[in-house]
Amino acid sequence: MKLKTEFNDREELIAYLQETFPDAAARSPEISETPGGRKAAEAALAQIKPERYAATRNHLNGAVTHLAAYLRHGVLTLAEARRAALLRGGKQAEKLVTEFAWRDYWQRVYAQIGDGIWKDRESLKTGWRPADYAEALPDDIAQGATGLRCMDGFADELRQTGYLHNHARMWMAAYVIHWRRIRWQAGAAWFLEHLLDGDPASNNLSWQWVASAFAVKPYYFNRDNLEQFTDGVYCRDCQHYRNGCPFEGTYDELQARLFPRADEGAFKR
Amino acid sequence: MNDVLVWLHGDCLNPHGPALQAHADAPRVFVFDEALLTQYRLSLKRLAFLYECLLEIPRVEIRKGDVAAELAAAAREYDCSRIVTAESVAPRFAQIRAALQREYDLTVEVVALEPFIELSSTEAARLDLKRFSRYWNPLKARALSLNQSFDW
Repeated sequence: MKLKTEFNDREELIAYLQETFPDAAARSPEISETPGGRKAAEAALAQIKPERYAATRNHLNGAVTHLAAYLRHGVLTLAEARRAALLRGGKQAEKLVTEFAWRDYWQRVYAQIGDGIWKDRESLKTGWRPADYAEALPDDIAQGATGLRCMDGFADELRQTGYLHNHARMWMAAYVIHWRRIRWQAGAAWFLEHLLDGDPASNNLSWQWVASAFAVKPYYFNRDNLEQFTDGVYCRDCQHYRNGCPFEGTYDELQARLFPRADEGAFKR
Repeated sequence: MNDVLVWLHGDCLNPHGPALQAHADAPRVFVFDEALLTQYRLSLKRLAFLYECLLEIPRVEIRKGDVAAELAAAAREYDCSRIVTAESVAPRFAQIRAALQREYDLTVEVVALEPFIELSSTEAARLDLKRFSRYWNPLKARALSLNQSFDW
């Protein structure tokens, strides 16, 4: 079936998409403000600041590039992005070029294992068996109704914008897998529904990394870490801050709580 | 007669992509893969993003349905026997490519994209993908230099 290609404006396009893809519109009707297209990709590429990126990338307000969606869909190539980063940043571009390399790496793994990206690459180092993890993503997580300001904020942002900062993705994934003990595949599928840059290889293999199915140990975090890289914007108004924040504690305390059966050796840094 | 039909897919939506550059006058078709949309439950914002990327490609034709069947229908309509497209590592891409050849007797030619780093096939085959660091350490110096081909 042929679809329309002439539209007067974005509104008209959106109305047409709602009609043309009614299932998607019924499930998640939100539209992102991030525009698609080569022009927008080139504009984003012109804005990259490799040196600032290296210094601030872990912070939610850091100078991240917002190139991922364009790279994922081949609107830009990694080669172009690499050249632009080196021209702009010289030696200071190392961090940014390394991040681009992650995408090249994930694609190479994808070429090798194909749909194997949906299966554990290695056994888990968490002390839990695969069967200990629930199959489905609970609604409170997807709907942003856990009561945890940070996780609910991330879920809302994901649904509204189709984007999450990399650090927020890591925290969210760790919460889903390690705190709620849900199979990483359920979280990965949820991200793929919404992320404009959702790439099965980058996404799933990163979830596997958090889960410890593609890493020597699980990734987890504590409140100090989240608070530091968010300037405390979520913690400030969270009802759980002084009362039962599940992320509060030292890494050793959290390890004992989350992975009581894990082999100690796996956690030695 | 055009002969060539350019198949655009979600791994290469660049208006200056290599398949479009090599066949600037050819009809170009993108198909929303209905089975995949259902399987991945893609949200409307993802489809809108793809659509906006597509609308910047001159003379693009957009369809939805079964990808191989729609491409074959377009090939018949434009009297094309060859399909040219950009490379993709997605298993779904390989399935569709095989179906075009097997079920519709269309030749599919896959064009390489400019690589992140130029590697010989021997080098590429030798890469250790067990961990990122093992892949990256031998490539890093080259990736961080603008003149990666030592062409003097």
